[in-house]
Parts: sequence; structure tokens; C-alpha cells
Amino acid sequence: MASVLRSALKSIREKGLRGFFRELKDEGFLSALLDGNLMQTKIHNIGATLVGVDKFGNKYYQKLGDTQYGRHRWVEYAYKNRYNASQVPPEWHGWLHFVTDHTGDELLLLKPKRYGIEHKENFSGEGDEYIYHSKGHSLNPGQRDWTRFEPWQPKKD
Amino acid sequence: MGLAQIASGALHRSTRFTYKPYILRSIVSTPDRHNSGASAAAAAPAEPDLPPRTPVGAPGSTSPIRKTQLSRLSIAGNCRMCLVEVEKSPKPVASCAMPALPGMKIKTDTPLAKKAREGVMEFLLMNHPLDCPICDQGGECDLQDQSMAFGSDRGRFTDTKRSVVDKNLGPLVKTVMTRCIQCTRCVRFATEVAGVQDLGMLGRGSGEEIGTYVEKLMTSELSGNVIDICPVGALTSKPFAFKARNWELKGTESIDVSDAVGSNIRIDSRGPEVMRILPRLNEDINEEWISDKTRFFYDGLKRQRLSDPMVRGADGQFKVVSWHDALALVAEVIHQVKPEEIVGVAGKLSDAESMITLKDFLNKMGSNNIWCEGNGSNPNADLRAGYIMNSSISGLEKADVFLLVGTQPRFEAAMVNARIRKTVQATNAEVGYVGPPADFNYVHQHLGTGPETLTELAEGRHPFSSILSTAKNPAIIVGAGIFDRKDKDAIISVIDAIAKKSNAVTPGWNGLNVLLLNAAQAAALDLGLVPESDKSIESAKFLYLMGADDVNLEKLPADAFVVYQGHHGDKSVYRANLILPASAFSEKEGTYANTEGCAQTTVPAVPTVGDARDDWKIIRALSEVAGARLPYDTIGAIRARLGTVAPNLLHVDERVAATYSTSSLRPEVKEKMDKRAPFETSIENFYMTDSISRASKIMAQCSALLRK
Repeated sequence: MASVLRSALKSIREKGLRGFFRELKDEGFLSALLDGNLMQTKIHNIGATLVGVDKFGNKYYQKLGDTQYGRHRWVEYAYKNRYNASQVPPEWHGWLHFVTDHTGDELLLLKPKRYGIEHKENFSGEGDEYIYHSKGHSLNPGQRDWTRFEPWQPKKD
Repeated sequence: MGLAQIASGALHRSTRFTYKPYILRSIVSTPDRHNSGASAAAAAPAEPDLPPRTPVGAPGSTSPIRKTQLSRLSIAGNCRMCLVEVEKSPKPVASCAMPALPGMKIKTDTPLAKKAREGVMEFLLMNHPLDCPICDQGGECDLQDQSMAFGSDRGRFTDTKRSVVDKNLGPLVKTVMTRCIQCTRCVRFATEVAGVQDLGMLGRGSGEEIGTYVEKLMTSELSGNVIDICPVGALTSKPFAFKARNWELKGTESIDVSDAVGSNIRIDSRGPEVMRILPRLNEDINEEWISDKTRFFYDGLKRQRLSDPMVRGADGQFKVVSWHDALALVAEVIHQVKPEEIVGVAGKLSDAESMITLKDFLNKMGSNNIWCEGNGSNPNADLRAGYIMNSSISGLEKADVFLLVGTQPRFEAAMVNARIRKTVQATNAEVGYVGPPADFNYVHQHLGTGPETLTELAEGRHPFSSILSTAKNPAIIVGAGIFDRKDKDAIISVIDAIAKKSNAVTPGWNGLNVLLLNAAQAAALDLGLVPESDKSIESAKFLYLMGADDVNLEKLPADAFVVYQGHHGDKSVYRANLILPASAFSEKEGTYANTEGCAQTTVPAVPTVGDARDDWKIIRALSEVAGARLPYDTIGAIRARLGTVAPNLLHVDERVAATYSTSSLRPEVKEKMDKRAPFETSIENFYMTDSISRASKIMAQCSALLRK
């Protein structure tokens, strides 16, 4: 606890009070006051090692030793207000779920060059424009025109 | 395990040994015969080794007579797939061409006949390409069926196959002449039924091929039928090429509306679109043929369709509105005009149900100015014999003299023309024709062009009148084109006089016929769609056009409100103030009476397009919005109403003959014929007569290429 206080005082000294509060907000400490999950993560983070940061800004922590096995790897999402598990890109998924001990930065080299596509999080429930519509779905923008007749068009004169 | 196997093997071997003759016999190509032989052999193993015999023609007999024989064509015996064994005949004989004689013993299912057919099949397939997967006939190919039934499982032919240059037969018939097996069905059809000498057989032996002798399009209004009769994929439909396979299609048995014949058709559809139209056998109307317009105007059903109710705004542009608003607007306007200023015109494709609904609705609104286009402004609907073909279409075959007055049946009703041609070919019947110079595909005498020829015939001064008066069953056919003439009644009274002089109307024969032009005409006259005044359109303030596109709107007052209810944006929509989209004949249930007065019904084959509705439903809804609710809600209830007005329309598929002959009951006609006005051609372009065929691209191609 003392070390936390010390580092906080240090950053106030470096950035000034205003900069300190901005950083508190950006790092999610303010949202953590209302969000138990995030607060839990933040408390968990104390003393953990930061293994890597992916391209979305998600931070991957690991704490060995006094942590229960199986709970020793976790992620702190980049978005502090709207986070879900689908924000973890595939290269980090294996490390995070104990499938592999290789970190995402290492596995990124295995990503297929030719057909590998960018990871997209699941936007379900975030609005119609984010929903995936299959090829035959009427809301798919590339939907084929199944109208089998030509309507009469009144002449514009 | 081992023991069991040995035991079963021994059993098996012993069985095989016992039934050895059957096992030897079992090498046959058709499995069903194999099985029947097996059961017979199992039941009585002592029987001699012969398959069970069934007499020729009995159900279950495998009589092979199916290839080149079509009952309406002459017998050629070309393909020889119907070979049978005849006792005391040294060779197998082609059963299609061999008359059966008393005492003849014909065996259709002997090893000899089967071997002969298998050999013939091998020859037929020798030069036939193996392109079934890309052939449009695939799935409905007679050769495929025959080779399945009689063919060998392998060929012995190792040489190169013959190839033949494709012929250009026009925009309707696609040719792949390499596939041709020289059955000469198309040649026989063209010369015998269609009456064009375009197709023929060229060359001999392996150089034999079907073709037009010189590069020439097939100019017949029945040319599409060669597609049906071609047993292989040599002649296929050009518009249908590579569009669908026949097993994907849903067939709906319906009625054609492109002319007044009411040909029986099958509408083949896939999902929401009509893919093709084929004829259906009806000996009394179209036999097994249909005209090219009937067969190929279906693509017009997919183009220029009215799919939403539209209102013309103050700026002259159409705007899509809801049904609710459209009907409310019509109801508002119809109450603002005087009842006698309301006029309704039914179109040439209207069904009887919608016409009676329109008539009932306008009568409730106080107007009785309703007619059907094509019937003229003053039609005579009093006596049914006065507007239908009294001798019936099939009855024309009994006639021995024809007198055609102002009609060109080849273009007005191609199937009736085929019937006349059949009679002329079979019995050398005389044909006299009064009218403008026209194309006929049989021998005829052109008697004159105008009404004065009719007077000469009536007075017996014309050379043809002696032929008419000596005829046993003369058939006088009057074209519906004269309905538009001012002196129509005078002409009909003169024709009555001609009929009286000859034996046209006798107790057993009524040969005084009218050949109508449109599908709706007969039913409209049956229902009494007769306007009160022939000047009604000049004084109309509210005009209800139910699919009427050929009505002359020039004299319509500029402030008249025109409602167009129909399925195609054709001619009249440009004058309309409000458009109500309706369904076409392929999408609705409707009763049509053809020119001989036979009522037939269409059946929906495809769903309606867009927001369109059935004609009668629109008027029924409109009547409710206008506050004059019509008392029927279902098609059955409308038919009950039809039955009270014209009971003959309920006798579906059976012709109800007219009760009285008109000639003795007609009132005296005072007016004289207009001698200076000759008869006119009623159909300018055979391929474009109604809103559907005018929207069709295929018909546009045909009229560009095939009309001279």
C-alpha cells in the first residue's frame, strides 16, 4: 500500500495535480469506483507483471507465486467502460486461457499473411450497423436482388 | 462363424444349382422384366425359359410404340425403335407403320425384338453427341428414355462422330443439329400442320440432315411446336435456353388469354417467375399445339409490371401511395360525378369474375356504361348464337365449305386456322375469303374485299354462291373486326341472308360463326357488358379502365378522372390519374369463355408481383370504401353470382351451345352497308396484341424479324 501511495505522489510531482487526475481517469481508476470488476482487476494488478500489450491497448498481466493456479493470468481491457471478452485478439487468446505459454506478441508471427484478417470484436447488441447479416439476409448490404420482375417506371418529363 | 459361412455358402450354391436356367436368363437390361421373370421362374421352374407375355395394348405391356408416332402427323417409320416380331415375318417390322391384320400374331417382348431395338438404339446413338449434361432437353428427352429402356450399356462405336452445322430458324427455335436423329417429326409438322414448306430433309445416308433448303427463318405462327415434338435436343426453345431444368419447374394447368381460342396450356414456373409455357392436350380446342404468341409471350409477365398503387399529382408525376389512400381517392371522386358520367371499360384480358364485379359496382353507383374493348360501341349481346362460334372449333372439321368474312384466322386465332387447314387438307374443302389481301397457308379463293361481295353472295350472283348453296355443312366465319364498323348490323343481316340461302343453319349443324379476337370478349357479352350509349366516352367524367389499353381515349374530356386498374404499364396508364395494380392471368383464378363459348378457368401459377391484388378483390374493396358494398367476399360467391347472370360460365371445360339461332330472331335492319369501306385487317401485328405481349422482348424480336 505504501508503494502505491509513493508512486501516486511521484506522478503528482511529475505531472502536476491536473495531469495526475487525467491519468487516473484514463487508466480507469475513476470508473473503477463504480465498477467492481474493474476495481478487482486494478487491485489484482498490484505486484503483477505486465506480460504484454496488444494492438488494441489491452494489458495482459501475470502473477505467479501467491496467486491461485488458473487465476494467474488476466487482462485489463483498453476500454474501461465497455469491455467484453471478444476484445481479446486471437493471438492473445491462447496465452490468456492457458492453452499456450507463448505470449501474443510471439504468436502474432504465426498469423497467416495472405488470408489472415483483422480481429473484430463482437458488436452484438450495439446497433443494427454492427450486426453480422449472412449473405442471404435481407439486411446484408451485398444482398442479391431477388425481384424477378421489372416494375413499370413512370416517365419523368 | 466359419461353420455358418460354409453352411450358407453351401446353401447358396445349392440354390444356384437348382435355379440355373433363371440365373442364365438374368442378364437382361431392364430390371422390372428381370424380376417378373424371376417370380415366374421361381413359381414354376419347369416352364420353358420365356418371359411372361402380355397382349399388345394391355396395361403393363411394354409396347414400344412411342417414338416417331404422333397421332396428328403422318407415319414415317424412320427411327425404327418400335420394332416387333410378327409371326411368319422373316424380319422384325416397325409397328408404327404396319397395319394390324386379323390373325396376325405380334410379339412385342421377345428376345428378337429386344435385340433388334438394342441394335437400332446403338445406331441412333452412333452419331448422337454425348452432351446430355448441357442439353436443354435433358430430363424430358425421348432418346434418353428410350436408351434407358432399350439401350445397351456400352457402345462399340469408335469412329469420329458426325457433326452438322446449326441452322438459324429465327428468334424462337434454337437448333443444335448435331443432336438430330432424323425422325422428321419437325418436317412433317411444318408441312402438314403449320403449312409452311420451310423445313426439309437434305442429303442421303450419313449425310442426311434436316434444314431449311436456303438460309431462311421459319415464318410460321406455330413454329414453337417443333420444340415440343422434337424427341431430342435438336430443336429447343431459344428464350428458354439454359434457363432451367424441367425437374425444377412446377407445372400449373391453365388457360391462355392471348387470343380468343383459350388454348389449354401448362405454365411452368420456378419460384415467382414463369419459365415457359407448354401446350396441354385438348382435342376440342387446341389439339396439342399452341401458337407462338401463347408460348413465348410469358417474358412480358416479368416486364413493365405495375406493382404499387400510384396517383398522378398536381405536377403530372406519378407518386406511390398506399392502397388505403388510393381507394379513398377513387371513392371520393366517384361520388363527385354524376352517375351517367361514370364509364367502365373492361380490357381484353379480363376474366368473367372481375367483369361482373365491375358491372355490379358501377351499376350500384348508378351507371350502366360498361363494355369490353373489342366488342365495339354497340355490341349485340342479346342472343348468344350471335357472337360465338356455333359450330365449335372441333366441329369445323365437319365443314366442307368455308366462307371467311373479314377475318384472317391465321393471325386472329392461329389454332382455329390450324383446324381449318386440317379440314382443307383432309377433305379438300373449299375456302372463300372476303377481306383485304391476306396470308393463308391453304388453298383459298379471294372473293372480294368489301361488303359488295357479300351482297353478291346473298343474291346468288357470285360464282362462289353455287359452291356455298350445294355444300352440306358450310361454315361461315365472321371476324370480330366488323364489330367496330358502323354498319355492323347491316353486314350481319346480309350474312344471315347468305346463311339462309345455303344450309349453314340446319337442325344438325350451325355453321354461322363469329370468330372473336380477345379472351374476354365472349364472357363480356355473356354477362351483358353493353354500354347504354355509344357516345359515353365523350361525356365521361370518371373512366374506370380495367386493363383496357386499346380503347380510344382521344375523345375523352381533359378533366375526366381516369382510373387504370391493370397489370402492365402499357398505353392507357399515360392518360390515367390513378393506377391500381392488378394481377395477370398467370397469378389469379379466373373464368374465361373462348370464342366457341367454352368456359375455362385459369389457376394461379406464380404469386402476384409487388403490392398487386386480384381484379375482383380491388373492386370489392373499392365498393366498400365507396359505401356500396358488393355482397360477395369469395371467388365462389362471385361464381354463384355469375351463375345467375350467365349460367354457361359455370360449366367449366364443357361447351354449352347457344340455344337459339339468331337469324330468325334478329330485328329488321334499316341501315345499309357502307359499300365504299372495305373490310380491314383486325390484327396488324400478330406478335403484339395485348399489354403482356407488347411488354415482351421475345415478341418484339419476333415482330422485328418474322413480319415481312
